Amino acid sequence: MFGGLHAPRPLPEPGALLAIARSFTPRVEARSPTPVLLDLSGLGRLWPTPHELGRALVAAAAAKAIEAQAALAFSRGAALVVARGCPGLTVVPAGGEAKALAPLPLALLELPEEQQQLLVRWGLRTIGDLARLPPAALAARLGPAGPRLVELARGEDAGVFQRAALPERFETTLELDWPVDGLEPLAFLLQRALEPLAEALAVRGAKAKGLAFELGLADGSVHARTLRPASPTGDARTWRTLVLLDLEAHPPRDAIARLTLRAEPTPARASQFSLLDPAQPAPEKLAETLARLHAWTEQGRSGSPRLVDTHRPGAFAVSTFAPGPLPRGRRPSAPCGPRVALRAYRPPRLAHVLTKAGVPSFVAAPGLRGAVTAAAGPWRVSGDWWDESFSREEWDIALATPTGAAAAFRLFRDRLRGEWFVEGELD
Amino acid sequence: MSAVPLPAEPWTQLPPGAAPQPSAVEVETVDRADVGERKRVLEALLKERRLQADAPPLRGEDYRLRPLATGMAALDEVLAGGFPRGEQSEIHGPASSGRTGVLLSLLAHTTLAGALAALVDPLDRLDPGSAAAAGVDLERLLWLRGPRTSGEEPQAKALVAATAAVATLVGSGLFDVVALDLAGADGARRRLPSTTWLRLQRLVEDTKTALVIVADGHVACSPGGRALALEPLGLRFSGPPGPACLLKSLAARARAGRNGLRTAELALAAV
Repeated sequence: MFGGLHAPRPLPEPGALLAIARSFTPRVEARSPTPVLLDLSGLGRLWPTPHELGRALVAAAAAKAIEAQAALAFSRGAALVVARGCPGLTVVPAGGEAKALAPLPLALLELPEEQQQLLVRWGLRTIGDLARLPPAALAARLGPAGPRLVELARGEDAGVFQRAALPERFETTLELDWPVDGLEPLAFLLQRALEPLAEALAVRGAKAKGLAFELGLADGSVHARTLRPASPTGDARTWRTLVLLDLEAHPPRDAIARLTLRAEPTPARASQFSLLDPAQPAPEKLAETLARLHAWTEQGRSGSPRLVDTHRPGAFAVSTFAPGPLPRGRRPSAPCGPRVALRAYRPPRLAHVLTKAGVPSFVAAPGLRGAVTAAAGPWRVSGDWWDESFSREEWDIALATPTGAAAAFRLFRDRLRGEWFVEGELD
Repeated sequence: MSAVPLPAEPWTQLPPGAAPQPSAVEVETVDRADVGERKRVLEALLKERRLQADAPPLRGEDYRLRPLATGMAALDEVLAGGFPRGEQSEIHGPASSGRTGVLLSLLAHTTLAGALAALVDPLDRLDPGSAAAAGVDLERLLWLRGPRTSGEEPQAKALVAATAAVATLVGSGLFDVVALDLAGADGARRRLPSTTWLRLQRLVEDTKTALVIVADGHVACSPGGRALALEPLGLRFSGPPGPACLLKSLAARARAGRNGLRTAELALAAV
């Protein structure tokens, strides 16, 4: 037998009815916040009659300030539709589904908009009108959907019960008999706490994309941190290393009396190795290596450079280093021949420049000084032209060096400020 | 003690004679235990059969014989194939001698083959636009940027942190190339203890990583490594100074090998 529970008014929170239903049985189907469907198998031992169970459901909802409608029936469809359509408690006897559904309006079946309008155009108003139509004739007009509509209207189940998955928490807490000071003893405790967590994740085919740990300290405070490596991992040893590295970088201020670990699960993703390509880095090893470089990572000074879609000179971004799988098919080849590269000065160096007929003839800046032996330019460039209006004038110059060979630099003049800068060396 | 029989629950079950509902086949959340167990068995089989490319070399093959080519044919010939793995090599030369162009060419060739490369840049000199133009797959390049500093003292601290980062990267075994860019920090570099380079040489031995140091002058090179000296030969412009003039190329001479006997002329295109 099934029970439907519906709240006609807006719920205080989306999962309220689901929580109430779960307090009765773990076998609950909830495809939307309302109505929810309960599988009542086994509950007959606790409530001697269906009316008592129904009243208990309504009372439990009322205790949470929710006005609920309940219906108990031997079919899923009937329990859900009657719960939506009839106020209070309705118990549908076995074989009485069609009779209970007949007077209810067609809209309660929640059909697709097109089908609903078609049935209304045919003059059908109630579920009973639909149930009386011959299935064969409906099939001729609507295809396979026709007989299914008739089954629905008669309260016959066409679908299957799909139990809503219970939320799982991957959490473990260790209360220590005496406070622990130092990372070495903590390492053993971490391994003890992480191994069952990793096993629980592995059994569910999941990995942890993040790990939150809270250390209850001897002075009563809590040291809480969250780690999120670039790739999810389910290896207890890797997580232990990441936690220890994080504690090295951010040590707690007192001894540790309690340890709580909470993993954020994510489905494990299978990847196909290729026989012809280099092996890709193991995510655990990569996460460990990046964690060891935390001094660079935390300051945002490590990662993969990324070009941004702008003409603003020198614009780029730095993303988390997470190399993806190699693309299939033909990969791009390097451009023909080696190229001159810019070695950028950050920030650009303020320069004093003498010009002759508008062409730089002498440059003096921190770290470089000399006569200009050749110059190419100027080019007016700017990104964000709506702000700066082509205010930058670039030159590629060759400066004489003490050794005799010329060194190439990129020079630019900020026309708005009237100042010269050396952007970098061409090498 | 005998078990107490549970009372019958007549009202939740269909009464006799009532029309049976189609059997409600329960669809539960897929039990991942079997899937997880099958995956573990499959991975164990794969490891046993060593289908991964980082498995020990095939009989008779030593991966260390496969040096990392720069993609520049003339230079690769001078380097006898490229920069060897498991060794510390260097690229040194004055400003505008093509050091950075050669380094980016090496990184491009490595990353486009699907391997990972790391660049430790204590002076924060890398221009991502130039790297992309050289063909580097930026997604496969780990860039460690030093803090903005001026003066020799802060630069020396940045170099110490950089060498520690190089040791971590080499020790991870994930990267085919680890490059340390010391060009422009000659003064600060000389303040590093000389044992720094010996330590890095020891770390990189017996790994698949080629450690390449870029500097203004000679730094250190392991016995099996390559010391590439670049000498600028001049810049070529397309014409007299003016709006129509462009920097066309940069010419350099590369020397490597015992006593620098192997040489090659390089031309790096600017446009």
